[in-house]
Amino acid sequence: MGFRQSITPYTASILIALCAVIIAFTGSLGFAVAGIFLAFVTFMNTRQLLQKLAAANEQTCFLDEKLVQSQKLASIGELSAGIGHEINNPLAIISQETEWMQHLLKQIGERDPKEVAELQDSLKEVLRQVDRCREITQNLLDFARKKEPVFQEVNVNKLIDDLSRLVEKETIRYHIEIRKDFQQDLPLVHTDAPSLRQVVLNLLTNATHAIEKDGRIRIATQRSENGSVDIIVEDTGCGIPKDHLIKIFDPFFTTKPEGKGTGLGLSICHGIVDKLGGRISVSSEVGKGSTFVVTLPINQRKGMRPS
Amino acid sequence: MSAKPRVLIVDDEERFRTTMAKLLTVNGLEVTAVGSGKAALEELKAKPYDVITLDIRMPGMSGLEALAEIKKVNPGIEVIILTGHASVDTAVEIMKLGGYEYLLKPTSTEELMNKIDAAFERKLTREQKVR
Repeated sequence: MGFRQSITPYTASILIALCAVIIAFTGSLGFAVAGIFLAFVTFMNTRQLLQKLAAANEQTCFLDEKLVQSQKLASIGELSAGIGHEINNPLAIISQETEWMQHLLKQIGERDPKEVAELQDSLKEVLRQVDRCREITQNLLDFARKKEPVFQEVNVNKLIDDLSRLVEKETIRYHIEIRKDFQQDLPLVHTDAPSLRQVVLNLLTNATHAIEKDGRIRIATQRSENGSVDIIVEDTGCGIPKDHLIKIFDPFFTTKPEGKGTGLGLSICHGIVDKLGGRISVSSEVGKGSTFVVTLPINQRKGMRPS
Repeated sequence: MSAKPRVLIVDDEERFRTTMAKLLTVNGLEVTAVGSGKAALEELKAKPYDVITLDIRMPGMSGLEALAEIKKVNPGIEVIILTGHASVDTAVEIMKLGGYEYLLKPTSTEELMNKIDAAFERKLTREQKVR
Protein backbone atom coordinates (compact mmCIF):
# COMPACT_ATOMS: atom_id res chain seq x y z
CA MET A 1 0.00 0.00 0.00
CA GLY A 2 2.84 2.42 0.99
CA PHE A 3 4.68 1.72 -2.25
CA ARG A 4 1.54 2.32 -4.26
CA GLN A 5 0.88 5.62 -2.61
CA SER A 6 4.46 6.98 -2.81
CA ILE A 7 5.34 6.08 -6.42
CA THR A 8 2.75 6.84 -9.09
CA PRO A 9 3.30 6.19 -12.83
CA TYR A 10 3.58 9.96 -13.18
CA THR A 11 6.42 10.41 -10.69
CA ALA A 12 8.31 7.46 -12.22
CA SER A 13 8.02 8.81 -15.75
CA ILE A 14 8.81 12.40 -14.68
CA LEU A 15 12.04 11.14 -13.10
CA ILE A 16 13.06 9.36 -16.30
CA ALA A 17 12.03 12.33 -18.49
CA LEU A 18 14.15 14.55 -16.25
CA CYS A 19 17.10 12.24 -16.86
CA ALA A 20 16.43 12.54 -20.63
CA VAL A 21 16.52 16.35 -20.42
CA ILE A 22 19.81 16.25 -18.51
CA ILE A 23 21.23 13.86 -21.13
CA ALA A 24 19.95 16.20 -23.91
CA PHE A 25 21.89 19.08 -22.37
CA THR A 26 25.04 17.08 -21.93
CA GLY A 27 24.91 14.62 -24.86
CA SER A 28 23.19 14.14 -28.18
CA LEU A 29 19.53 14.50 -29.32
CA GLY A 30 19.37 10.72 -29.98
CA PHE A 31 19.94 10.05 -26.27
CA ALA A 32 17.16 12.49 -25.41
CA VAL A 33 14.62 10.80 -27.72
CA ALA A 34 15.57 7.41 -26.31
CA GLY A 35 15.15 8.83 -22.82
CA ILE A 36 11.65 10.19 -23.55
CA PHE A 37 10.64 6.87 -25.15
CA LEU A 38 11.90 5.06 -22.04
CA ALA A 39 9.87 7.44 -19.86
CA PHE A 40 6.71 6.66 -21.86
CA VAL A 41 7.22 2.89 -21.62
CA THR A 42 7.88 3.16 -17.90
CA PHE A 43 4.73 5.22 -17.46
CA MET A 44 2.61 2.59 -19.26
CA ASN A 45 4.18 -0.35 -17.45
CA THR A 46 3.89 1.19 -14.03
CA ARG A 47 0.27 2.11 -14.65
CA GLN A 48 -0.56 -1.44 -15.73
CA LEU A 49 1.24 -2.85 -12.70
CA LEU A 50 -0.68 -0.60 -10.31
CA GLN A 51 -3.97 -1.48 -11.94
CA LYS A 52 -3.21 -5.17 -11.42
CA LEU A 53 -2.22 -4.49 -7.82
CA ALA A 54 -5.49 -2.66 -7.18
CA ALA A 55 -7.51 -5.51 -8.73
CA ALA A 56 -5.64 -8.09 -6.63
CA ASN A 57 -6.26 -6.02 -3.53
CA GLU A 58 -9.96 -5.84 -4.28
CA GLN A 59 -10.11 -9.60 -4.82
CA THR A 60 -8.34 -10.18 -1.47
CA CYS A 61 -10.88 -7.95 0.29
CA PHE A 62 -13.74 -9.91 -1.35
CA LEU A 63 -12.24 -13.26 -0.31
CA ASP A 64 -11.59 -12.01 3.25
CA GLU A 65 -15.18 -10.88 3.51
CA LYS A 66 -16.36 -14.24 2.17
CA LEU A 67 -14.14 -16.08 4.64
CA VAL A 68 -15.38 -14.03 7.60
CA GLN A 69 -18.99 -14.68 6.58
CA SER A 70 -18.32 -18.44 6.19
CA GLN A 71 -16.56 -18.64 9.55
CA LYS A 72 -19.34 -16.71 11.21
CA LEU A 73 -21.91 -19.07 9.74
CA ALA A 74 -19.91 -22.13 10.76
CA SER A 75 -19.54 -21.11 14.40
CA ILE A 76 -23.17 -20.08 14.68
CA GLY A 77 -24.05 -23.38 13.02
CA GLU A 78 -22.38 -25.35 15.79
CA LEU A 79 -24.06 -23.28 18.47
CA SER A 80 -27.43 -23.64 16.74
CA ALA A 81 -27.24 -27.42 16.67
CA GLY A 82 -26.62 -27.47 20.40
CA ILE A 83 -29.45 -25.06 21.15
CA GLY A 84 -31.82 -26.86 18.76
CA HIS A 85 -31.24 -30.15 20.47
CA GLU A 86 -31.38 -28.88 24.00
CA ILE A 87 -34.63 -27.00 23.42
CA ASN A 88 -36.34 -29.85 21.59
CA ASN A 89 -36.28 -32.08 24.66
CA PRO A 90 -38.05 -29.71 27.08
CA LEU A 91 -40.42 -28.80 24.25
CA ALA A 92 -41.31 -32.46 23.92
CA ILE A 93 -42.19 -32.59 27.61
CA ILE A 94 -44.26 -29.37 27.48
CA SER A 95 -46.11 -30.72 24.49
CA GLN A 96 -46.87 -34.06 26.12
CA GLU A 97 -47.93 -32.60 29.44
CA THR A 98 -50.30 -30.29 27.58
CA GLU A 99 -51.79 -33.20 25.67
CA TRP A 100 -52.21 -35.08 28.94
CA MET A 101 -54.00 -32.09 30.54
CA GLN A 102 -56.28 -31.91 27.50
CA HIS A 103 -57.09 -35.57 27.98
CA LEU A 104 -57.83 -35.09 31.69
CA LEU A 105 -60.02 -32.07 30.96
CA LYS A 106 -62.11 -34.12 28.56
CA GLN A 107 -62.93 -36.44 31.45
CA ILE A 108 -64.25 -33.65 33.65
CA GLY A 109 -65.66 -31.51 30.84
CA GLU A 110 -69.27 -32.32 31.52
CA ARG A 111 -69.15 -31.05 35.08
CA ASP A 112 -68.15 -27.46 34.34
CA PRO A 113 -68.24 -27.01 30.58
CA LYS A 114 -67.59 -23.24 30.44
CA GLU A 115 -64.41 -23.15 32.47
CA VAL A 116 -63.16 -26.36 30.94
CA ALA A 117 -63.65 -24.88 27.47
CA GLU A 118 -61.55 -21.91 28.47
CA LEU A 119 -58.82 -24.16 29.82
CA GLN A 120 -58.89 -26.25 26.64
CA ASP A 121 -58.47 -23.08 24.62
CA SER A 122 -55.43 -22.07 26.68
CA LEU A 123 -53.88 -25.49 26.26
CA LYS A 124 -54.42 -25.35 22.51
CA GLU A 125 -52.54 -22.08 22.52
CA VAL A 126 -49.67 -23.69 24.45
CA LEU A 127 -49.46 -26.39 21.77
CA ARG A 128 -49.54 -23.79 19.00
CA GLN A 129 -46.61 -22.01 20.62
CA VAL A 130 -44.74 -25.31 21.01
CA ASP A 131 -45.22 -25.82 17.27
CA ARG A 132 -43.80 -22.37 16.65
CA CYS A 133 -40.73 -23.18 18.76
CA ARG A 134 -40.39 -26.50 16.99
CA GLU A 135 -40.28 -24.71 13.67
CA ILE A 136 -37.50 -22.49 14.99
CA THR A 137 -35.43 -25.38 16.34
CA GLN A 138 -35.90 -27.30 13.09
CA ASN A 139 -34.66 -24.30 11.18
CA LEU A 140 -31.68 -24.12 13.51
CA LEU A 141 -30.91 -27.77 12.97
CA ASP A 142 -31.31 -27.38 9.21
CA PHE A 143 -28.96 -24.45 9.37
CA ALA A 144 -26.35 -26.41 11.28
CA ARG A 145 -26.66 -29.65 9.37
CA LYS A 146 -23.53 -30.49 7.49
CA LYS A 147 -25.03 -31.74 4.27
CA GLU A 148 -22.46 -32.65 1.69
CA PRO A 149 -23.76 -31.73 -1.76
CA VAL A 150 -24.14 -34.44 -4.41
CA PHE A 151 -23.13 -32.92 -7.73
CA GLN A 152 -25.07 -33.92 -10.84
CA GLU A 153 -25.93 -32.38 -14.18
CA VAL A 154 -28.95 -30.17 -13.48
CA ASN A 155 -31.29 -28.42 -15.92
CA VAL A 156 -31.54 -25.15 -14.00
CA ASN A 157 -34.35 -23.74 -16.17
CA LYS A 158 -36.52 -26.78 -15.50
CA LEU A 159 -35.71 -26.76 -11.78
CA ILE A 160 -36.74 -23.11 -11.51
CA ASP A 161 -39.79 -23.59 -13.69
CA ASP A 162 -41.06 -26.41 -11.44
CA LEU A 163 -40.50 -24.29 -8.34
CA SER A 164 -42.13 -21.18 -9.73
CA ARG A 165 -45.22 -23.21 -10.64
CA LEU A 166 -45.37 -24.27 -7.02
CA VAL A 167 -44.97 -20.71 -5.74
CA GLU A 168 -47.47 -19.40 -8.32
CA LYS A 169 -50.26 -21.32 -6.59
CA GLU A 170 -49.66 -19.08 -3.59
CA THR A 171 -48.78 -15.79 -5.34
CA ILE A 172 -51.85 -15.81 -7.60
CA ARG A 173 -54.00 -15.20 -4.53
CA TYR A 174 -52.12 -11.97 -3.88
CA HIS A 175 -52.10 -10.82 -7.52
CA ILE A 176 -48.36 -11.34 -7.83
CA GLU A 177 -47.27 -12.25 -11.33
CA ILE A 178 -44.23 -14.45 -11.84
CA ARG A 179 -42.46 -13.61 -15.09
CA LYS A 180 -40.00 -16.22 -16.32
CA ASP A 181 -37.17 -15.06 -18.48
CA PHE A 182 -34.96 -18.07 -19.15
CA GLN A 183 -32.00 -18.22 -21.48
CA GLN A 184 -33.03 -21.10 -23.72
CA ASP A 185 -29.64 -22.58 -24.59
CA LEU A 186 -28.43 -22.60 -20.99
CA PRO A 187 -25.95 -25.46 -20.41
CA LEU A 188 -26.58 -28.12 -17.77
CA VAL A 189 -25.04 -27.08 -14.47
CA HIS A 190 -22.96 -29.47 -12.38
CA THR A 191 -24.55 -28.83 -8.98
CA ASP A 192 -26.67 -30.26 -6.14
CA ALA A 193 -30.34 -30.02 -7.16
CA PRO A 194 -32.02 -30.25 -3.69
CA SER A 195 -29.74 -27.53 -2.32
CA LEU A 196 -30.36 -25.29 -5.30
CA ARG A 197 -34.12 -25.85 -4.96
CA GLN A 198 -33.90 -24.69 -1.34
CA VAL A 199 -32.10 -21.50 -2.37
CA VAL A 200 -34.48 -20.63 -5.22
CA LEU A 201 -37.56 -21.42 -3.13
CA ASN A 202 -36.25 -19.21 -0.36
CA LEU A 203 -35.58 -16.31 -2.73
CA LEU A 204 -39.03 -16.65 -4.33
CA THR A 205 -40.71 -16.79 -0.93
CA ASN A 206 -38.79 -13.72 0.23
CA ALA A 207 -39.76 -11.87 -2.95
CA THR A 208 -43.41 -12.74 -2.33
CA HIS A 209 -43.20 -11.47 1.24
CA ALA A 210 -41.50 -8.26 0.07
CA ILE A 211 -44.33 -7.54 -2.37
CA GLU A 212 -47.21 -8.64 -0.09
CA LYS A 213 -49.74 -8.05 -2.87
CA ASP A 214 -50.07 -6.62 -6.39
CA GLY A 215 -46.65 -6.86 -7.94
CA ARG A 216 -44.31 -8.79 -10.11
CA ILE A 217 -41.44 -11.22 -9.61
CA ARG A 218 -39.06 -11.75 -12.50
CA ILE A 219 -37.02 -14.91 -12.40
CA ALA A 220 -34.36 -15.16 -15.04
CA THR A 221 -31.40 -17.29 -16.00
CA GLN A 222 -28.44 -16.31 -18.10
CA ARG A 223 -25.02 -17.52 -18.97
CA SER A 224 -22.44 -15.21 -17.48
CA GLU A 225 -18.72 -14.89 -17.91
CA ASN A 226 -16.10 -17.27 -16.47
CA GLY A 227 -18.13 -20.41 -17.13
CA SER A 228 -20.96 -19.46 -14.78
CA VAL A 229 -24.73 -19.27 -14.81
CA ASP A 230 -26.71 -16.47 -13.16
CA ILE A 231 -30.08 -16.99 -11.53
CA ILE A 232 -31.78 -13.65 -11.01
CA VAL A 233 -34.75 -13.08 -8.75
CA GLU A 234 -36.12 -9.56 -9.06
CA ASP A 235 -39.16 -8.23 -7.22
CA THR A 236 -41.20 -5.07 -7.18
CA GLY A 237 -41.47 -5.22 -3.40
CA CYS A 238 -40.69 -2.84 -0.58
CA GLY A 239 -36.91 -2.94 -1.09
CA ILE A 240 -34.16 -3.12 1.52
CA PRO A 241 -32.66 -0.03 3.19
CA LYS A 242 -28.91 0.46 2.67
CA ASP A 243 -28.01 -0.18 6.32
CA HIS A 244 -29.86 -3.51 6.19
CA LEU A 245 -28.17 -4.65 2.98
CA ILE A 246 -24.87 -5.36 4.71
CA LYS A 247 -26.57 -7.49 7.37
CA ILE A 248 -28.92 -9.35 5.12
CA PHE A 249 -26.92 -12.62 5.01
CA ASP A 250 -26.22 -12.55 8.76
CA PRO A 251 -27.91 -15.31 10.73
CA PHE A 252 -30.95 -14.19 12.78
CA PHE A 253 -31.20 -10.87 10.94
CA THR A 254 -34.84 -10.28 10.11
CA THR A 255 -37.16 -7.37 9.54
CA LYS A 256 -40.22 -9.57 9.64
CA PRO A 257 -42.57 -9.19 12.61
CA GLU A 258 -41.96 -11.44 15.57
CA GLY A 259 -42.95 -15.02 14.89
CA LYS A 260 -42.97 -14.53 11.12
CA GLY A 261 -39.35 -15.28 10.40
CA THR A 262 -36.28 -16.67 12.13
CA GLY A 263 -33.81 -14.64 10.07
CA LEU A 264 -32.05 -17.77 8.94
CA GLY A 265 -33.36 -18.13 5.38
CA LEU A 266 -30.82 -15.96 3.60
CA SER A 267 -27.89 -17.10 5.71
CA ILE A 268 -28.82 -20.70 4.89
CA CYS A 269 -28.93 -19.66 1.20
CA HIS A 270 -25.53 -18.02 1.54
CA GLY A 271 -24.08 -21.16 3.13
CA ILE A 272 -25.55 -23.40 0.42
CA VAL A 273 -24.39 -21.26 -2.49
CA ASP A 274 -20.95 -21.16 -0.89
CA LYS A 275 -20.87 -24.96 -0.75
CA LEU A 276 -21.93 -25.13 -4.37
CA GLY A 277 -18.90 -23.03 -5.26
CA GLY A 278 -20.93 -19.98 -6.22
CA ARG A 279 -21.85 -16.63 -4.78
CA ILE A 280 -24.97 -14.66 -3.99
CA SER A 281 -25.37 -10.91 -4.23
CA VAL A 282 -28.12 -8.40 -3.67
CA SER A 283 -29.02 -4.92 -4.86
CA SER A 284 -32.04 -3.00 -3.77
CA GLU A 285 -33.85 0.29 -3.77
CA VAL A 286 -36.39 1.16 -1.10
CA GLY A 287 -39.87 1.40 -2.56
CA LYS A 288 -38.83 -0.08 -5.90
CA GLY A 289 -37.70 -3.62 -5.15
CA SER A 290 -34.75 -5.94 -4.79
CA THR A 291 -32.66 -8.14 -7.04
CA PHE A 292 -30.85 -11.25 -5.87
CA VAL A 293 -28.30 -12.85 -8.16
CA VAL A 294 -27.00 -16.37 -7.58
CA THR A 295 -23.95 -17.13 -9.68
CA LEU A 296 -23.07 -20.80 -10.03
CA PRO A 297 -20.16 -22.37 -11.86
CA ILE A 298 -21.36 -24.56 -14.75
CA ASN A 299 -18.78 -27.13 -13.89
CA GLN A 300 -18.09 -26.94 -10.18
CA ARG A 301 -14.78 -28.82 -10.54
CA LYS A 302 -13.44 -26.50 -13.21
CA GLY A 303 -15.27 -23.41 -12.10
CA MET A 304 -15.09 -21.47 -8.89
CA ARG A 305 -13.37 -22.93 -5.91
CA PRO A 306 -15.72 -24.17 -3.17
CA SER A 307 -15.02 -22.70 0.22
CA MET B 1 -51.27 -62.44 17.94
CA SER B 2 -52.39 -59.41 19.91
CA ALA B 3 -54.60 -56.92 18.06
CA LYS B 4 -52.97 -53.91 19.71
CA PRO B 5 -49.24 -53.35 19.64
CA ARG B 6 -47.19 -53.91 22.76
CA VAL B 7 -44.95 -50.88 22.97
CA LEU B 8 -41.73 -50.38 24.92
CA ILE B 9 -40.65 -46.77 25.49
CA VAL B 10 -36.95 -46.23 26.11
CA ASP B 11 -36.03 -42.71 27.22
CA ASP B 12 -33.76 -41.44 29.97
CA GLU B 13 -36.02 -38.43 30.64
CA GLU B 14 -38.34 -39.77 33.33
CA ARG B 15 -41.17 -37.27 32.90
CA PHE B 16 -41.18 -37.71 29.15
CA ARG B 17 -41.47 -41.49 29.22
CA THR B 18 -44.11 -41.67 31.94
CA THR B 19 -46.42 -39.11 30.32
CA MET B 20 -45.93 -40.67 26.93
CA ALA B 21 -46.80 -44.04 28.42
CA LYS B 22 -50.03 -42.59 29.85
CA LEU B 23 -50.94 -40.94 26.53
CA LEU B 24 -50.35 -44.11 24.51
CA THR B 25 -52.22 -46.20 27.07
CA VAL B 26 -55.35 -44.03 26.86
CA ASN B 27 -55.09 -44.47 23.10
CA GLY B 28 -55.45 -48.21 23.55
CA LEU B 29 -51.87 -49.44 23.45
CA GLU B 30 -50.13 -51.74 25.88
CA VAL B 31 -47.18 -49.75 27.11
CA THR B 32 -44.13 -50.18 29.31
CA ALA B 33 -41.50 -47.49 29.82
CA VAL B 34 -37.86 -47.90 30.83
CA GLY B 35 -35.02 -45.42 31.31
CA SER B 36 -32.00 -46.97 29.57
CA GLY B 37 -30.82 -49.23 26.78
CA LYS B 38 -29.68 -51.81 29.29
CA ALA B 39 -33.09 -51.86 31.01
CA ALA B 40 -34.71 -52.22 27.58
CA LEU B 41 -32.66 -55.33 26.78
CA GLU B 42 -33.62 -56.87 30.12
CA GLU B 43 -37.28 -56.02 29.55
CA LEU B 44 -37.15 -57.69 26.12
CA LYS B 45 -35.89 -60.91 27.68
CA ALA B 46 -38.80 -60.89 30.11
CA LYS B 47 -41.70 -59.99 27.79
CA PRO B 48 -42.50 -59.90 24.04
CA TYR B 49 -42.92 -56.49 22.38
CA ASP B 50 -43.96 -55.37 18.89
CA VAL B 51 -42.69 -51.80 18.70
CA ILE B 52 -39.99 -49.88 20.57
CA THR B 53 -39.59 -46.11 20.70
CA LEU B 54 -35.98 -45.32 21.40
CA ASP B 55 -34.17 -42.12 22.38
CA ILE B 56 -30.70 -41.57 20.91
CA ARG B 57 -28.85 -39.57 23.52
CA MET B 58 -28.88 -41.54 26.75
CA PRO B 59 -26.21 -41.94 29.39
CA GLY B 60 -24.48 -45.31 29.36
CA MET B 61 -25.60 -47.27 26.33
CA SER B 62 -26.54 -44.85 23.51
CA GLY B 63 -29.68 -45.32 21.45
CA LEU B 64 -27.68 -46.53 18.44
CA GLU B 65 -25.82 -49.11 20.53
CA ALA B 66 -29.11 -50.22 22.06
CA LEU B 67 -30.67 -50.49 18.58
CA ALA B 68 -27.87 -52.79 17.40
CA GLU B 69 -28.24 -54.98 20.50
CA ILE B 70 -32.04 -55.09 20.29
CA LYS B 71 -31.86 -56.18 16.64
CA LYS B 72 -29.44 -58.97 17.63
CA VAL B 73 -31.81 -60.28 20.32
CA ASN B 74 -35.04 -59.70 18.41
CA PRO B 75 -34.62 -58.87 14.69
CA GLY B 76 -38.38 -58.86 14.09
CA ILE B 77 -39.14 -56.00 16.47
CA GLU B 78 -39.79 -52.58 14.90
CA VAL B 79 -37.85 -49.66 16.37
CA ILE B 80 -38.88 -46.02 16.06
CA ILE B 81 -36.17 -43.55 16.96
CA LEU B 82 -37.54 -40.55 18.81
CA THR B 83 -34.94 -37.87 19.35
CA GLY B 84 -34.42 -34.16 19.83
CA HIS B 85 -31.40 -34.22 17.60
CA ALA B 86 -31.70 -34.82 13.89
CA SER B 87 -28.82 -35.37 11.56
CA VAL B 88 -28.61 -37.06 8.20
CA ASP B 89 -25.66 -39.16 9.36
CA THR B 90 -27.60 -40.49 12.35
CA ALA B 91 -30.63 -41.19 10.14
CA VAL B 92 -28.48 -43.21 7.74
CA GLU B 93 -26.92 -45.10 10.64
CA ILE B 94 -30.36 -45.90 12.06
CA MET B 95 -31.55 -47.27 8.72
CA LYS B 96 -28.37 -49.37 8.38
CA LEU B 97 -28.96 -50.83 11.83
CA GLY B 98 -32.51 -51.80 10.85
CA GLY B 99 -34.45 -48.97 12.53
CA TYR B 100 -37.94 -48.46 11.15
CA GLU B 101 -38.60 -44.76 11.48
CA TYR B 102 -37.08 -41.57 12.72
CA LEU B 103 -39.11 -38.89 14.51
CA LEU B 104 -37.95 -35.53 15.76
CA LYS B 105 -39.06 -34.37 19.21
CA PRO B 106 -41.38 -32.68 19.99
CA THR B 107 -43.96 -34.73 18.19
CA SER B 108 -47.70 -35.06 18.78
CA THR B 109 -49.20 -38.25 20.17
CA GLU B 110 -51.24 -38.53 16.99
CA GLU B 111 -48.12 -38.52 14.80
CA LEU B 112 -46.41 -41.04 17.03
CA MET B 113 -49.53 -43.25 17.08
CA ASN B 114 -49.57 -43.25 13.26
CA LYS B 115 -45.93 -44.33 13.14
CA ILE B 116 -46.49 -47.04 15.76
CA ASP B 117 -49.54 -48.35 13.85
CA ALA B 118 -47.57 -48.44 10.59
CA ALA B 119 -44.63 -50.17 12.26
CA PHE B 120 -46.95 -52.73 13.88
CA GLU B 121 -48.68 -53.41 10.56
CA ARG B 122 -45.32 -53.98 8.90
CA LYS B 123 -44.34 -56.41 11.63
CA LEU B 124 -47.62 -58.35 11.23
CA THR B 125 -47.30 -58.49 7.44
CA ARG B 126 -43.76 -59.78 7.68
CA GLU B 127 -44.71 -62.43 10.20
CA GLN B 128 -47.61 -63.58 8.01
CA LYS B 129 -45.26 -63.93 5.04
CA VAL B 130 -42.88 -66.05 7.11
CA ARG B 131 -45.74 -68.39 7.99
